[in-house]
Amino acid sequence: MSSLLSVKNMTVNFDTPRGSLEAVRNVDIEIPAGTSVGIVGESGSGKTVMCRAAMGLLQGSTVSRTGTVVFDGHELTAMTKEQVRELFGSGMAMIFQDPLTALNPVRRIGVQLSEGLRIRLGMSKSDAMARSKELLELVRIPNAAAVLKSFPYQLSGGMRQRVMIAIAIACNPKLLFADEPTTALDVTVQAQILQLLRELREDLKMSMVLVTHDLGVVAGNTDYVAVMYAGEVVEYAPTAKLFADMRMPYTEALLNSIPRVDHKPGTALTVIAGRLPDPTNRPSGCGFAPRCKYVQEKCHKEHPNLKTDPDGHVYRCWFPIGEAL
Amino acid sequence: MLKFKELSKPTQLCVLWIGLMLFLAVFGSFLPFEHWTFVYEDDLGVTPFSPGHILGTDNNGYDLLTSAIAGTRMSIFIAITAVGLGGLIGSALGITAAFVRGKVDLVLSTAFNVGLAIPNLVLALALVSVLASNVDMTVVVPIWRRVMVLIISLTIVLIPILGRIARGATLTWSGREFVTAARSMGMRDSQIIKKHIVPNVLPALIAVAFLAIGVVIIAEASLSLLGVGIPDGGSWGGMIARGRNDLEYSPHVLYIPVIFLAITVVSTNQIGEVLRNKLDGREAKV
Amino acid sequence: MAGSGTAHMRNTVDSVLTVRDLTVEFRVAKDKIVKAVSGLSFDVVRGETLAIVGESGCGKTTLARAVLQLPPPNAGEVVLNGTDLTLLPKENLRSARTSMQMIFQDPISSLDPRMTVHQLIDEPLEIWDRGNRAERDERINKLLQSVGLEPELVLNRRSYEFSGGQCQRISIARALALDPRMLICDEPVSALDVSIQAQILNLLLHMKETFGLTMVFISHDLAVVKAISTRVMVMYLGKICEVAPPDVLYAKPAHHYTRALLNSVPIPDPTKQIRTELLQGEPPSPMNPPSGCRFRTRCVGASALCAEQEPQLREVSPGQFVACHHPIV
Ligand SMILES: Nc1ncnc2c1ncn2[C@@H]1O[C@H](COP(=O)(O)OP(=O)(O)OP(=O)(O)O)[C@@H](O)[C@H]1O
Ligand SMILES: Nc1ncnc2c1ncn2[C@@H]1O[C@H](COP(=O)(O)OP(=O)(O)O)[C@@H](O)[C@H]1O
Ligand code: SF4
Ligand code: SF4
Ligand SMILES: [Mg+2]
Ligand SMILES: [Mg+2]
Repeated sequence: MSSLLSVKNMTVNFDTPRGSLEAVRNVDIEIPAGTSVGIVGESGSGKTVMCRAAMGLLQGSTVSRTGTVVFDGHELTAMTKEQVRELFGSGMAMIFQDPLTALNPVRRIGVQLSEGLRIRLGMSKSDAMARSKELLELVRIPNAAAVLKSFPYQLSGGMRQRVMIAIAIACNPKLLFADEPTTALDVTVQAQILQLLRELREDLKMSMVLVTHDLGVVAGNTDYVAVMYAGEVVEYAPTAKLFADMRMPYTEALLNSIPRVDHKPGTALTVIAGRLPDPTNRPSGCGFAPRCKYVQEKCHKEHPNLKTDPDGHVYRCWFPIGEAL
Repeated sequence: MLKFKELSKPTQLCVLWIGLMLFLAVFGSFLPFEHWTFVYEDDLGVTPFSPGHILGTDNNGYDLLTSAIAGTRMSIFIAITAVGLGGLIGSALGITAAFVRGKVDLVLSTAFNVGLAIPNLVLALALVSVLASNVDMTVVVPIWRRVMVLIISLTIVLIPILGRIARGATLTWSGREFVTAARSMGMRDSQIIKKHIVPNVLPALIAVAFLAIGVVIIAEASLSLLGVGIPDGGSWGGMIARGRNDLEYSPHVLYIPVIFLAITVVSTNQIGEVLRNKLDGREAKV
Repeated sequence: MAGSGTAHMRNTVDSVLTVRDLTVEFRVAKDKIVKAVSGLSFDVVRGETLAIVGESGCGKTTLARAVLQLPPPNAGEVVLNGTDLTLLPKENLRSARTSMQMIFQDPISSLDPRMTVHQLIDEPLEIWDRGNRAERDERINKLLQSVGLEPELVLNRRSYEFSGGQCQRISIARALALDPRMLICDEPVSALDVSIQAQILNLLLHMKETFGLTMVFISHDLAVVKAISTRVMVMYLGKICEVAPPDVLYAKPAHHYTRALLNSVPIPDPTKQIRTELLQGEPPSPMNPPSGCRFRTRCVGASALCAEQEPQLREVSPGQFVACHHPIV
């Protein structure tokens, strides 16, 4: 299968007053064309930075990125900012966690939507408006004409996220980065938005990177899953395989901490005690060691290498689950 | 908080200048100079950098350095008092309006808006005329009385400006959940205002107060120019008013107070601006 | 209902909190009234954890605040330990409130950014003059330790230096400072990461045991309340749909809305995905709620009767009360 996006050995550093902060470290990720890939990890694990760095969206003198990113045959890491920008919209697009702050509060939805169309596609004002209405209908917004005339604060969180999706898919992108698109929403609205994304992916033949901290969201909406911990990808596998045959202790811990409706009431949640290691001062051994229930001497001393099973299941652990010591 | 060393060079200069002005305002009269009204009969209208008169004298023989120092004291005193009073009253009204809401808010914010709709100078002029109207024209008005009238007028001008800022800030902060939390803990409204509202509103007010000082200094000068401020060169405005007549032969008599005034206003504006940016950054963080 | 009724009320002497016919309305324009909570009744018995679940905007926060009289409801009674709070004069209300504390949804905005952790937790103790300086300091340290924070490391820091999970721990310590009997938690974990959610949920469970608390726990997610509740109340547009113990409610929901809510919880198992009977659209405006059953515009089981008559709460199985004309059997 050909890769739409291929990230190789990417590392992202921020210069901070407390020293160099390695937010993403040696990440390899493949997004096969036509698939949906979930990126899962707790807050601060580097999911957002990874996506933004892959899109070339991190700028400024305090950021440095190494490694290569190839998107649809273009090596982004070798292109100028201007050339990368050309790819936004029709190549790749992004939706954000907080749909309120991502929309301009003082401009009508119609203006914000049609503006991009006019600039990027050179549409006339009336064409752009007509297309905006179509887009709102495409993201199943009832009464699209009225919504075009409203301001962001007049819409519910779910509606705003639909508008963001409409803006993102306006130019038929090949790849959609969705950074926690439902974290700020109710479970009911989350279910609707996820359903919408599944349908749009089908209709528009779009690939997707779905960032979330919830393994539940990933289970029904992705073909592959990459689990991130402390800036690294610690497990990568097809979704069904990952859930059926989990190798990484961290992934298991993450799964056990989810409150579930399909378990008996009163089932205690297993907590992952402790916190992510300080990103400015990464430990030399496994970053999960202080929190891991399978931890051994070796874990504290040596950083685990990435291992690949014959079936392509990738993980980063000295003592993976299901392997006799 | 803000560290002097971390400020940009121009801002540092502004802070130093304001420091100098405050020093002159407080300790100016203890400096080893003659009183500013002393007339140097032999040195009429000498240019700046003349021996004995570093800033020169005017056509009446007044030394401009001592005049400027005296002017600084008066202008700074008026500005700080008016801003202090205006800030106190304005924020008390603004905070009350926003916290109590309802009719009180309606009345106060309407009053603020009316006050803001009238240009500052017009309002000040009107107030000075009204407040000073009972003065018998034939009697020489004592200077303290003029100063009082000026301060009261300028304070009234400032109340709606600062009041509205305080009201806006209070509205945002009192909407925060921690105010509800305090209430759920059994805190009295007066305690909530004292402990949660005022300390959070204060930084914004201080930033604006610096901007207001500039406004007041200019207003005072304009009033003096119009002849209703401090007479006879007792403040920067007064000096400008007097220097106007000497413009042709001794332009420095006009320039010196103008320069003092301009640098001071630029400096307070700059400091206010820096404080405000710093604050916005802090608020973005919380 | 979403409907009305009082069949689910237990009226026992053990009730810590009894709410009757509570109504909260907001006038947003001259002739526009948001009916946030409409004639709602429930009771909470000593030691129980009542979960209140519903979509965003259904009136959960409004309900919690009305119970605390912040602001007082437009109508109805709120009886806490035998005293009707709605009738209390302001000064008595202040002290009555201390036996009922609240944890807020937004962990960061519910703490004054200017205050240190020490000041934050000291504040309630100071207001009510609980002990001298040394006694209060000792209490602050104990509280912080009990919520899993290291006093020396946190006492002098301010809320914005902490993560959401840590802020929520601070809020919990603060709410417990006055030894309340009752804790109302308004979506205390909704803004948190899944792994932190579990930590806070377990902490609340633990605190409940140690401090002998009675709890009301609000959430939009049925999964979140499953582990900690002893009774679940589902509400929609300001009214009650279903009240039941969790083992019944999750196994066989009787209300169509409860089932839809259950189906929208993501299940972390690719082989168990439910894609049917998802709720479509958004709740209607609370300014103009539908006639009869308020859920009828989105209900798969709605009939003509549902538009005409408001369903009343009735017991369909022991302890399970539902307000629906055609409950799921
Ligand atoms: N502009 C920046 N400057 C310095 N550090 C940053 C910057 N942006 C992110 N970081 C740091 O990089 C690390 C990873 O952050 P990132 O936002 O990618 O996490 P995340 O997994 O997306 O978390 P969340 O679930 O909270 O969105 C964190 O330690 C964060 O503090
Ligand atoms: N102060 C207010 N003024 C007007 N409407 C309000 C106010 N507070 C809440 N509402 C409305 O009341 C309804 C219930 O709100 P809320 O209790 O916050 O819901 P929830 O907590 O369940 O998300 C919503 O429609 C909301 O918009
Ligand atoms: S390497 Fe060791 S500490 Fe790290 S996840 Fe594997 S078993 Fe746990
Ligand atoms: S069946 Fe009728 S009464 Fe029952 S939930 Fe649906 S609309 Fe309401
Ligand atoms: Mg992120
Ligand atoms: Mg709420």
